[in-house]
Order: sequence, then structure tokens, then C-alpha cells
Amino acid sequence: MTMIEVRNLSYAYGKNKILDNVTFDVEEGNFCAIMGSNGTGKTTLLKCLSNILPVPKGTVFINKKDSVDYSVNEMARTVALVPQHALLDFEFSAFETVLMGRNPYQKRLQNESQEDWDIVEACMKRTNTWHLRFASPAKMSGGEMQRVMLARALAQQTPIMLLDEPFSNLDISHQFEIIAMLREICENEKKTILLIVHDLNMALRYCKTLLLLHNHSVVFNGKIEEGLNPLNIKKYFGVDASIQNINGKMNIVYN
Amino acid sequence: MNRKDKKVRPNPLRTRLCGIIVLAILLFVVAFVSSMIGVVNYFFTDVVSMIEALFHSDGSMGMDYAIFWNIRMPRTVLSVLVGAALSVSGAAYQSVFRNPLTDPYILGVSSGASLGAAIAILLGWDNGIIGIGTMALTVGLVTVLLIYKIASIGNRMHTATLLLTGVCFTFLITAIVSFLMVLNQDKMERIIFWTMGSFASASWGDVLVALPFVVLGILITLYYSRDLNLLLVGSETAKTLGVDVEKVKKRLLFVTTLMVAFAVSTCGVIGFVGLIVPHCIRLVVGADNRLVIPYSIFVGGIFLLLCDSIARMVLMPSELPVGSITALVGSPMFIYLLYKSKKQL
Repeated sequence: MTMIEVRNLSYAYGKNKILDNVTFDVEEGNFCAIMGSNGTGKTTLLKCLSNILPVPKGTVFINKKDSVDYSVNEMARTVALVPQHALLDFEFSAFETVLMGRNPYQKRLQNESQEDWDIVEACMKRTNTWHLRFASPAKMSGGEMQRVMLARALAQQTPIMLLDEPFSNLDISHQFEIIAMLREICENEKKTILLIVHDLNMALRYCKTLLLLHNHSVVFNGKIEEGLNPLNIKKYFGVDASIQNINGKMNIVYN
Repeated sequence: MNRKDKKVRPNPLRTRLCGIIVLAILLFVVAFVSSMIGVVNYFFTDVVSMIEALFHSDGSMGMDYAIFWNIRMPRTVLSVLVGAALSVSGAAYQSVFRNPLTDPYILGVSSGASLGAAIAILLGWDNGIIGIGTMALTVGLVTVLLIYKIASIGNRMHTATLLLTGVCFTFLITAIVSFLMVLNQDKMERIIFWTMGSFASASWGDVLVALPFVVLGILITLYYSRDLNLLLVGSETAKTLGVDVEKVKKRLLFVTTLMVAFAVSTCGVIGFVGLIVPHCIRLVVGADNRLVIPYSIFVGGIFLLLCDSIARMVLMPSELPVGSITALVGSPMFIYLLYKSKKQL
């Protein structure tokens, strides 16, 4: 089933065109890497998909429904977004931060239920942040903060997750741990995950499909093994590379 | 479940209730003591007998009875109302603007409201306090909207721009008010009242005008207190977590400005209450607005009542403007907070 449909989406900040006539589909349970050079509109695309930026009617369909017709709360129960830059200057503990992910399910003036507590605990344990639950995000490292943000997105329990470079501050072991977890979520819970990522090898090993943006347009949308070939890498990333099979795993080696 | 786990799962409702009961008792005690002090001092038994007299009045109104019930009591009630209104507005502004250094006074909204009140007096609309209140609200709203438009760059509020805009607006409005006063010297005294802030002329009429707006404003702010928490984390994030950001911000800015405008039109501009009170509460209970907002009602009331009591005690029988007492406490606090957060600027 198609979870995300984008039809002829263009977006501009003033006269500055960021997305130019973008069209693509993402199937349910897909783990899709969004790649492309800096400033090509990847972050803007995720903001358009999650209704942070207003899009015209008939351009973005989430779960077969036009995103314009979603209420803010309904969208928050359908799409979770992990932002690129988390704001650090506030005084909620990590636990309270993750608990905010339960907001779309809570009624006004209502306290958190036992279910909310349990979900938050499970999500924090899953992202290896439970030991940080009393810590203030302002005192955390960038990587710890990103994992807390990921836990909050998981606590939203949405069928679709959008992640904007969630690994940029993570050490290599956490990168592998988190991306493997995301892949597992796709497989087991049929979640649809779109991930902006710059590490070609990481994407090649874990993601299923590739959405390649170049000059504000989609230039490739398909199986990642097909998309990340030496020709495309040279053409769109400007790097000479070859694909080598090392111990049965495909690796991109830069020449 | 060990002890640490219990700590992470507090029962906000129970915490809130306990704190509020304690604060309500404290408010009552402060109000009681404050009503004993003045040009005429009463003793504990006097106050008790006057409260008794209210219920068993034989029709003959003694002098003490009149002073107590028609001068001191409305003053006490009004200062509590205004304190609550300013503190709750301050807490809400700080979350909406995502900036710990804002309150209605620093942003110039209180001054804007005072300009509105001055205009109403000059136009001769000052027969009923509603006319003054409406003008105060109009100019106050224009001020807050202009500041919001000017200070928001993209989707972020820049601290320096916000504070500088507020300072400029305050100067501009003060200049206009002075200009109006010079041009209309016959009404100068009445206008000065709005620029200084005082409860000296508080009456039951003022209380009745302010009460509905303050109660309404507080209730609506309480209703949105969880949304305020999410706004504190940033507009975009709040939106992805299910907060209708623009709608909530507009409503909150409207009701808080409504409270401020009607508070200002009864007692004039009183600064720093909205800054100090929420901050002191946050130091104790943390940033959660579901605690900060209800506590602000009571702590704000107690704080302004104390300041007003000091203002009328220090130089008895003459009075200091209550705004000078709050500024005496508030300015050092503001400088301290500015120093602490200078990295952001």
C-alpha cells in the first residue's frame, strides 16, 4: 500500500526555489534513504510531508488522504519528525521531553496515564536513553540529545517516521545500533521510515530504497543497490567510487 | 519499583493540589495581616469582629467598618487579582515568545495599555472604567502584535531583537504619554496615575470590572498549559507533536493581553511582577507550565499584596507607588537573569 504520495510538489522560500516539481511514492513498510548534496531541499521536503510548511492541496497524500485535510493532532498521530537541530535551551528532563511525544493522545487537563508512562519507558530503553531520564537536555551531549529526540518520535507511535540526519552526532556504535533498530521497526511493525543520511555505506547496508535529490528535483527513486552505482555517485556526489564485495557485503570504496 | 522510579512518575494533580492549598492558606494569612495595617491600625480581634459585623450588620456603619470594608478590602482584593493576572500573563508570554526575559511590562504591552487609558481620558470616555479598559486593550493588542511581527525572524524569536523592540516601544509610548500630558495639563494628574501604578484609589467597582476578565484569562491559560510546555520546545516541534501553534499563540496572546489591559486600567502600570514570580516558581517546581501557571496565580497575588503593603507602610501616612517597590525587587532580578542568559544574546 502506498503510504506517501507526492505529486508535482514545488516549494520556495520567497524567490528561492527549494523543491521543483517533486513527484514520488513511498510504500508501507519501506525504509527509504533520502540523499543528495547540501541545500538540495531534503529538509524542506520532510517539513512539507509533516505539514510544518504549508503545501497546496493535491500535492501531498499521507495514507491516501490529502495532507491539507489533516488536523494538527491527526498529523501528529500519523507522522513523527526527528528534527536536524534539537533546541537545547529549555529545562525539561529527558523523561518529560519524551513524554511530550504522547501529547497527541492526551485530552486537555488530563494527566498522563500508566500507559503513557510505560510507552515512554519502553521507547527510552529502546534508544538506550533510560539512564538519562532525570538529566536536563541542556547538559547532554549532541548524540544523547538525538537519541532522546528519537525516543520522543517513537513515543508518538506513528505509522510514518521522518528522520532528518539523526546520526550526525552519534558515535559509530550508536549509529549502527539505531539504524539497525529502525530497520527492525520497519520489518516488524510495518512502519514507513524516511531517513536523510549522508553515509552512503550505512544507507546501502540498511535502507531498502533510495530517493535521490539533485538540483531540487528527484533524480532517482528505487532500490538502493541500483541507485548507488559508481555512475550516480560520480554524477550526483562528485566522487569517484567503486562498489566492492567484502565478505559478502557490498561496500562503497572511494577512489 | 524503586524510589527513583517513583520520583520520575510524580502525580502532577496531587502535587498541584498540595501546593495550592498551602499557598491559598498563605494568601489568606497575608491578606488578613495586610488588612490590619494602615493609617489606622487594627488588631486581630478588630478584624475578626468586622468580618462578623458583615454578616450580622445592624445597619449602623461605623467609621472603622467603612474604612475596612470600603477602602482596605477592595484594595487587598484588587492587588491580589492584578498580581495573579500579571504573573500568569508573564508565565504565558515567556512560553509563547520562548524567552525567559519577557513579561507584559518589558515588552511594552503594559505601557501600551496605559497609553490607551490616557487616550480614553483625553477623549472624555472615562465615565465608566469599561471605556478606559477597551482603549487599554486595543492599544495593548496593537503593541503585542507589532512586537510579535517585528521580533520573529523566520520561525524563531531572537532574544536581542525581542528585548530591544520592547525597550523601544516602551520609550516611544512613554514619550507619547508625556506629550499628551503636557498638552493636557488639566488632566495630568489622572494620567500620571496610569504611568506609575497605585492601588490607593481601589474600589469595589474596580474589582468588579477586573474580576471577570482576570478569571477568564486565567482559566483559558490553564486550559492551554500543556500546549505552553510544547511551545517552549519550539514552534515547529510543537506542531509535529499536535499543537495548533498559530491558533494557540493567538488565543493566548489575546487573553493575556486582555487580563493585562484590564489590570492596567484599574491600577496603572506595575512592572516586573510577571517576570519575577514565574521565575521564582520555576526555581522550585521546574519548567512544567501545568504547575507554573496555577502557582503563579497565588504567588503573584501574595507578592503584589506584600509589595502594596510595603508601599503604604514605609512612609506612612503618605504612600509610595507600588511599581517602585516591585521595580526595586524586579530590576536586580532582571539583571541577574540577563547576566545568566547572556550566552543567548
